[in-house]
Amino acid sequence: MSPELIVLALVVVTALAFDFTNGFHDTGNAMATSIATNALKPKTAVTLSAVLNLIGAFLSVEVALTVTNAVVNIQDASGAPRPELIGDGGMSLLMIILSGLVGAIVWNLLTWLLGLPSSSSHALFGGLIGATMAGLGVNGVKWVGDGTKLDGVLGKVVLPGLMSPVIAVVVATVGTWLVFRITKGVAEKYRESGFRWGQIGSASLVSLAHGTNDAQKTMGVITLALIATGIHTDLEAVPFWVKLACAFFIALGTYLGGWRIIRTLGKGLVEISSPQGMAAESSSAAVILASSHLGFALSTTHVATGSILGSGVGKRGAKVNWSIAARMLMAWAITLPSAAIVGAVVWFIGNGLGGLFGAIVVFIILVAASGWMFLRSQRNKVDHRNVNDDWVEDVTQRQLPEEPIVKPRRRVRSKA
Amino acid sequence: MNNLWFALEGAWHVLLAGLVLGAGLPAVFSLGIRALSYGAHQNVDDHTPHPFAKVVAAFAFGLVILAIALGIGVIVSNGMGYRLSFESIYPAFVPK
Repeated sequence: MSPELIVLALVVVTALAFDFTNGFHDTGNAMATSIATNALKPKTAVTLSAVLNLIGAFLSVEVALTVTNAVVNIQDASGAPRPELIGDGGMSLLMIILSGLVGAIVWNLLTWLLGLPSSSSHALFGGLIGATMAGLGVNGVKWVGDGTKLDGVLGKVVLPGLMSPVIAVVVATVGTWLVFRITKGVAEKYRESGFRWGQIGSASLVSLAHGTNDAQKTMGVITLALIATGIHTDLEAVPFWVKLACAFFIALGTYLGGWRIIRTLGKGLVEISSPQGMAAESSSAAVILASSHLGFALSTTHVATGSILGSGVGKRGAKVNWSIAARMLMAWAITLPSAAIVGAVVWFIGNGLGGLFGAIVVFIILVAASGWMFLRSQRNKVDHRNVNDDWVEDVTQRQLPEEPIVKPRRRVRSKA
Repeated sequence: MNNLWFALEGAWHVLLAGLVLGAGLPAVFSLGIRALSYGAHQNVDDHTPHPFAKVVAAFAFGLVILAIALGIGVIVSNGMGYRLSFESIYPAFVPK
């Protein structure tokens, strides 16, 4: 086996690992509200979301090959890698991709450990930008595009990142206000069960949209690596096994559920009720779908968090935990630069050691960092048993006893 | 500067669509629920909806379901390289 093929295998495994973190990082975007209001049992919610992500990933048959073109110059417009990067059997390009992915995964895991929802696409782009800057210099990054369309780091990441939460907050605030206004004084019997269904429906739509948008990015990255090594030559299509693997890993990640993030979104930000949950998820679904229809790239995480926040703003007397919201905003702001720094540092290490050995060291760094964060997370475990416990100060202060203190609550259903 | 302009334009469209669909549809759904509970007190258990209210509710829920179907249509058509067009008022799928 040639060294390039071994490095390629490492890249594919790392990309699938990123896809997996992408799944579990974002389960909360769709399902946090349904879990918090007991519309769905925690396990049922993540299973539903996983299935819909799996279906969604297969629905995206559009060519996703040019995904990196939004922010870096490592491919040309047709999706082919730049020739000077594949002169050495693809090694230079593989090293950039590998380092970028490591940056993205490390940041995704760290924010998960802290229970903060942050954008997986920003992490991926950040990692790639950092690795590209390290490898090709500042000019390797497409900062502003050519001015004919929304493009580059500014147009595809920074501006939408600033605007999308605002849009979501506005839409969800108006929606929540309307819902409470209209159903004021309505019999509890109809209100609770009705909005539960509405909530489940809208949350499902968010899950489906997530699968179509996000799995595609990993597919594009893996295919780029395959093309770089000459294993795959078709610039029009993603190999079927890549699609299958990406769909599977994003669904698996979703199923395992980033319980820490679900908890923050469902319990930490706003004390949420079914009507609010429905308004929030409808807002998320509408904004995500409208933006993908109009070609305005948004981060699902930013939209979902903004919507939940808006559902707190729109209900009179609801309490919004602004200190948590502020922490999230900070995490969003530093996601891209942080992933970029990790990506760049890792690239320097990998490239300094060179070739196959460098790539293996980079991979070991990733495994070590992930392992450390996983062990750290076990100290104060959050899972489906305690995800809905009352919010105390800080999610990281909670201790989960051996036996569940709170059995998953059954749905309280009024006699119908 | 072009980027800022494009972004504001895109954001404006998304906000409009978001308000109509993301806030409007929950409002329609709420109207349906309000209709069902017509004549009921807040804490009753043994209330049957008024026949006319049922029709209103069915209409409201139907509208929401239709919109969700369209939403799924948008997802699927985007994936298949089609886009949903409203140029002839009723939705139609046209190649991109």
